[in-house]
Amino acid sequence: MTTAGPTAPTSAPVLPVRTRLAMMLRLLAIQGAWNYETMLGNGIGFCMEPALRLLPGGVHAPAFKQALARESRYFNAHPYLASVAVGALARAELDGEAPERIERFRTALCGPLGSVGDRLVWAGWLPFCSLASLAVFGSGASTAAVVVFFLVLYNAGHLGLRFWGLQTGWSHGLRVASALGNPVLRQGPQEIGRLAALATGIAIPLALGRIIGPGRALLGGVLIAVALGAFLIVRLQSRVEGWRLSLVVLAAVVLYSVIR
Amino acid sequence: MIVLDLIPLALLGGLLGLDVVSFPQAMISRPLVAATLAGALIGNAASGLLVGAALELIALETLPFGASRYPEWGSASVVGGAIFASHPDHPPGSMVLAMLAALATTWIGGWTMVKLRRRNAVWAAARRPALDAGARGAVVSLQLLGMTADFARGAVLTAIAYLVLAPIANACVHLWTIDARVSRAIVVAIAASVAGGAAWKLFHSTPGARWFFVGGLAGGLFLLFAR
Amino acid sequence: MTLLLYRIDDRLIHGQVVVGWGQPLDVGFIVLVDDSVATSDWEQELYRMGVPPNMEVYFNTVEDAVRELPKYRSDPRKGILLTGNIETMRRIAEQAHVDAVNVGGLHARPGRVQRVRYVFLTPQEEQELRALAAGGVRVTSQDVPGARPIPLESLLAGVEE
Repeated sequence: MTTAGPTAPTSAPVLPVRTRLAMMLRLLAIQGAWNYETMLGNGIGFCMEPALRLLPGGVHAPAFKQALARESRYFNAHPYLASVAVGALARAELDGEAPERIERFRTALCGPLGSVGDRLVWAGWLPFCSLASLAVFGSGASTAAVVVFFLVLYNAGHLGLRFWGLQTGWSHGLRVASALGNPVLRQGPQEIGRLAALATGIAIPLALGRIIGPGRALLGGVLIAVALGAFLIVRLQSRVEGWRLSLVVLAAVVLYSVIR
Repeated sequence: MIVLDLIPLALLGGLLGLDVVSFPQAMISRPLVAATLAGALIGNAASGLLVGAALELIALETLPFGASRYPEWGSASVVGGAIFASHPDHPPGSMVLAMLAALATTWIGGWTMVKLRRRNAVWAAARRPALDAGARGAVVSLQLLGMTADFARGAVLTAIAYLVLAPIANACVHLWTIDARVSRAIVVAIAASVAGGAAWKLFHSTPGARWFFVGGLAGGLFLLFAR
Repeated sequence: MTLLLYRIDDRLIHGQVVVGWGQPLDVGFIVLVDDSVATSDWEQELYRMGVPPNMEVYFNTVEDAVRELPKYRSDPRKGILLTGNIETMRRIAEQAHVDAVNVGGLHARPGRVQRVRYVFLTPQEEQELRALAAGGVRVTSQDVPGARPIPLESLLAGVEE
């Protein structure tokens, strides 16, 4: 026996442009009150609040207050894909879904939105954009070109994802799981991973070449050191993080150079 | 000079510290951007970019997964970028010292983020009855308070770190004894090692990614030595 | 290979599990043990969306999981066994040998008190963790692989550093 899923949605009511814009802007601040107890729960309530004002009776009615209280409780997901939850939950509240059903759905949505977002953005899009920009840097591009390239490329994906999430969540309501099967979300991390691996190969030697500047004569030795160092860091993974190791090694270099 | 630079750098550090998590997470806090902006404030954006690129290689390893604790690169990159940019002739050791200052600040920054998250929980607990009653004022004010505190956190962190670390870096530059080329090579080797390790962790399980990496590396090395 | 990690995490499948642990450890499958999710198609559909196409998810009740454990342990791929609460993990450990359990995330709820950043416990849950340890299971707390594992006594004392 399986439990009954969310019911099929009717066509989505139109959300006023002003409300949609307010929600979109607030989504940029969804983690503003992030804490270890409710995580981004308060942010979910904060982002949905403009839509909840459309509930019968407005902001002073019990329906508004109950919905806002319910939606401001614990929630955890990827901050960009939380827009899917904001849209879907706003739709469910305005459709008058039963509170128990909304709460169960809300709980089930946390993990998948976190996992998909982490794979797609933190482990995919962000490192890809970073590496592609380092390749542009290494190819000798101007300072402004490198910075603009990174910000435009990254934020095209970032803002697009937030906007898509809000739209999709609102259109599908409690049936939003089917939208998470979107090929971009399913296959995207893998494809971006391949591109990022390509960008890694191009970026590391080129960036290294530009940063090293006058030390270019040492390039061969540096490349061998990088291969050995990367191997060591991979072997040490889950015991020590690379940035901590860098901190210790650089501190030792400074002490050696200054004291000797 | 350090004191004159302090206020604009602190404001920039506050803004970029805010971007890391709270608002708007547009990644202006990534070292590549943040250190360049700090360099531009000092009057030498290109130097900021140089140290920003080295820091970006290291930052590839620390991606902000879930609720885990991670270093705060926004304010830290401002400190590192400003210290390096304030030595426009790039004397020996200046990049090592700027990197070390940034890494030390990123460590403290990660700790301050944890403290702020705990403080946000205290503020939320104080508003619990109002939040449970669905008071919109409580929801909105908690959000605004958290963001304001995060901005202040980043600004204070940047100001203190720059005030303490910039004079130390200046003093160390005068005492530096390692050859300039070797100093720079050490930074590059460390940063690229971390980036290589990070990329392996992220992409080695993606089917076909190894071949894409090998192809890219061949192209990258060709371009490097062909110039 | 074997089951590399027995994790208690009320978020079940999420980024720390799939990316944080899954990618560096080359995890090929996740066994999600939850009596309620094991009978809910729509929740299973949602959780499946959270894993990459090359990672398999098995949804088990406690009974099914205990019965299938030998199969999971002899699977050539590496796997993670995941429960959403301590009680479920304790029930598994009572019926099958478990070496070590990782408390990866139990978040704020009424009656729970914060121990470390990501672990909040009720007195009952504290007793259940102690019972697990008394049964020979090594209990530690660790959110991501790069963090230091926190021994049970330190976790209960709220000592994270």
